[in-house]
Amino acid sequence: MRLELGRIKITDVQFGDTTKVVNGTLYVNEQEIVNLIMEDEHIKSVKVELAKPGEETRITPVKDVIEPRAKVEGQGGIFPGVMNKVTTVGTGRTHVLSGAAVVTCGKIVGFQEGIIDMSGPGAEYTPFSKTCNVCLVIEPVEGLKQPEYEAAARMAGLKAANFIGKAGMSVQPDEVEVYETKPLLESIQEYPNLPKVGYVYMLQTQGLLHDTYVYGVDAKKIVPTILYPTEIMDGAILSGNCVSACDKNTTYHHQNNPIIHDLYARHGKDINFVGVIITNENVYLADKERSSDWTAKLCRFLGLDGAIVSQEGFGNPDTDLIMNCKKIENQGVKTVIVTDEYAGRDGASQSLADADPKADAVVTGGNANEVIVLPPMKKIIGMLDYTDKIAGGFDGSLRPDGSIEAEIQVITGATNELGFNKMSATSF
Amino acid sequence: MKKIIITNNPRVYENYLSKMDIMYSDAYSYLDVLSEARDKIHEGHNLLTHPLSGSVKPNETPYKSLAISIERGSLDMDSLMIIEESIATARKFITGKKTPLWTEQILKDFQMIDFYLIKSAIESMDQFHV
Repeated sequence: MRLELGRIKITDVQFGDTTKVVNGTLYVNEQEIVNLIMEDEHIKSVKVELAKPGEETRITPVKDVIEPRAKVEGQGGIFPGVMNKVTTVGTGRTHVLSGAAVVTCGKIVGFQEGIIDMSGPGAEYTPFSKTCNVCLVIEPVEGLKQPEYEAAARMAGLKAANFIGKAGMSVQPDEVEVYETKPLLESIQEYPNLPKVGYVYMLQTQGLLHDTYVYGVDAKKIVPTILYPTEIMDGAILSGNCVSACDKNTTYHHQNNPIIHDLYARHGKDINFVGVIITNENVYLADKERSSDWTAKLCRFLGLDGAIVSQEGFGNPDTDLIMNCKKIENQGVKTVIVTDEYAGRDGASQSLADADPKADAVVTGGNANEVIVLPPMKKIIGMLDYTDKIAGGFDGSLRPDGSIEAEIQVITGATNELGFNKMSATSF
Repeated sequence: MKKIIITNNPRVYENYLSKMDIMYSDAYSYLDVLSEARDKIHEGHNLLTHPLSGSVKPNETPYKSLAISIERGSLDMDSLMIIEESIATARKFITGKKTPLWTEQILKDFQMIDFYLIKSAIESMDQFHV
């Protein structure tokens, strides 16, 4: 499977009469977006606001972040099984509005959502302070239950990203990246002497506000399976995970998975990156046993020499991570695991809820309990009254002057477990 | 699958009361639910769901529901390891920062989240055993 990713660099976003891209500026027709989202009878109102890097703007509570993309050649469309037909994606050419993002906000529950600061110390912890953001503040109709509100907010973001992405279809990209993964036997023939490396991609799938979708399927219902990495770039994996802002994978993270990116960068040089095994993180322990047995089985079946295993979320998934690690290692396949830590405010506590001697190669995305003070911002997009109830915040964390003292787990993407951030740890 | 739910969540209790065995008390703390499960595991019950289900932290939500087997056998070491590590993790959070005194509405949100987490596990367990 071969995919050309044409990157159109977006350096500014403005409202305009039509939704289009001109010389790196994304123009968005506000009314078109509103009309599109208001097609959903579950939504009472949507406010479209723009946030740019460097502005004194705080966006909260963030539900999802999505990168606008459009398929210009090849079969299928972006977000298959949801926004477009369920046709297999990952081939041909896709245009990306690189540097733009759709951010959805909504008070689905009174706690546990994310913050994106576009400037100041908090901006350093989130990748979405560097993107030109089209924010959707979504209000539900009266009496709407949380599951329906969550689904409506999720669909609103995808609709807007799908719509905005089309603005890049006829624009000449600034650069074109090419990614190719061949069928396994051809790949092994092409690089017979390179170690075969796979990626075990764990998806959050515990229930409401903790879900992930693959080609429109609720991933808690899948058994581990194999994807070409380019399918994921075309939006095969979508986030319905609204909890634990620092270490949840937004749809944007899935679209831009840095582990896939870095494995491709070394493909054909010192490793043979043969593909991705997706698996889930369920609550029922028998599901964990089955899924980790299957990831290990698939690693062996693919003849892997090594596997990178990434986690999503806190607590329960630590057990899935260690089960995967142990069982894959027992198949004779070396593993590196990617996680984050809840090591206490001083960083001195046990980092994970599970451990094993076989987990001897670990990459961390940082300590989510670290404390930060976020200064007040001039503009708030969303609802600030919920900020003192966000994960890691505590009573009184929202000070009268608008500043917030909280753990960095309040910040969207701060300790991302795909490594899509700047923090880590190293030993000397 | 025959199971016992241990919970301090009134929404879980009310929903499953007539459908399965439940150990419920609104006086249980988050850690009490885990401790009750540990005692049952020592009596030979198996843990069926992960005690740290959900990304909501143990010092955020006061509610916890989990499932153990109704049958008893010899002590299951895997169950014991998971519950002990979960208790240690939960205690670390709760001693680091206490659970806030939430408003009634936010408590209801936490009940809802906990309900859907255990519901997803029960649905998975009961696909062939209603």
